[in-house]
Amino acid sequence: MAEKFDHLEEHLEKFVENIRQLGIIVSDFQPSSQAGLNQKLCLCVCLSPRNFIVTGLQDIDKCRQQLHDITVPLEVFEYIDQGRNPQLYTKECLERALAKNEQVKGKIDTMKKFKSLLIQELSKVFPEDMAKYRSIRGEDHPPS
Amino acid sequence: MENFTALFGAQADPPPPPTALGFGPGKPPPPPPPPAGGGPGTAPPPTAATAPPGADKSGAGCGPFYLMRELPGSTELTGSTNLITHYNLEQAYNKFCGKKVKEKLSNFLPDLPGMIDLPGSHDNSSLRSLIEKPPILSSSFNPITGTMLAGFRLHTGPLPEQCRLMHIQPPKKKNKHKHKQSRTQDPVPPDHKKKKKKKEEDPERKRKKKEKKKKKNRHSPDHPGMGSSQASSSSSLR
Repeated sequence: MAEKFDHLEEHLEKFVENIRQLGIIVSDFQPSSQAGLNQKLCLCVCLSPRNFIVTGLQDIDKCRQQLHDITVPLEVFEYIDQGRNPQLYTKECLERALAKNEQVKGKIDTMKKFKSLLIQELSKVFPEDMAKYRSIRGEDHPPS
Repeated sequence: MENFTALFGAQADPPPPPTALGFGPGKPPPPPPPPAGGGPGTAPPPTAATAPPGADKSGAGCGPFYLMRELPGSTELTGSTNLITHYNLEQAYNKFCGKKVKEKLSNFLPDLPGMIDLPGSHDNSSLRSLIEKPPILSSSFNPITGTMLAGFRLHTGPLPEQCRLMHIQPPKKKNKHKHKQSRTQDPVPPDHKKKKKKKEEDPERKRKKKEKKKKKNRHSPDHPGMGSSQASSSSSLR
């Protein structure tokens, strides 16, 4: 699983580095730089394919097949578009989950207490009926 | 009589209730409704103990208590359990929520060049726009041929300042002693140009100052070209 991401990360880093070098060449272009620029852009058999834009894109495209089952929540893209760390999204998800968990736990505990209190008070007023009720429910309603 | 007995003899089961009451065929008939005025403030009605306790719990009002239904099936996983420990997310929780996570995107991707902390809407580089309006592309990446390369013939000279900012990174405080030689932030650093300009301006300034001094000296009393009275006063001052 992690290998798929490692391959993609490696290809992306190389591609970004090639683009950065292209940007440096273009920023202050000289006549002698044309050859280097062409070399960066087009495919050349004699040199290593690591430095070429087209082969870089092809390598990244090949990684896509291995990652077709990976899903990314759209909310992460909003963080990235705002220039924020996407780990903050994970952090906020965990915090929200914990808060909701605590909220639901509080509701469950309160309902349990209410149920036991209600049975207790009803048993005082309607002892026979509550005895029947308890016998029907069996072990679900221990006498409080 | 035969028809009468035939009716009761054939119909061993009770007749199905009318569909207007909402009960489907095959279900037992509903019990009689509670007496009028049976609200929360009044005394509860007497329990209709027609069926043995616990015999029939399905349906509304079956059994000794009205609206008594079966309890829902109990599940092990409810909101009362700590879901983070249940799904083994304690390490992730401590990692993200225990420590302070830095705000900027450049802290997550420190090696990525460019001003990545800026919003994507500024330079149309947002991921959202990529999803909403995906670019129309061909199915494969074809290498650039020789004739296509003619489109990449560039003019010499530096880029305008608007385009130069693309690969300038914000200053990194921590990585001062690392990767100094591996990357060049700017192909022509502007500091050298400014220093060169100052150096060039210095001799010009000196020349201008000299010229000004010469002009002052010409008009000053110390100058030999001036009158004798002015020269005598100047000598007294010395």
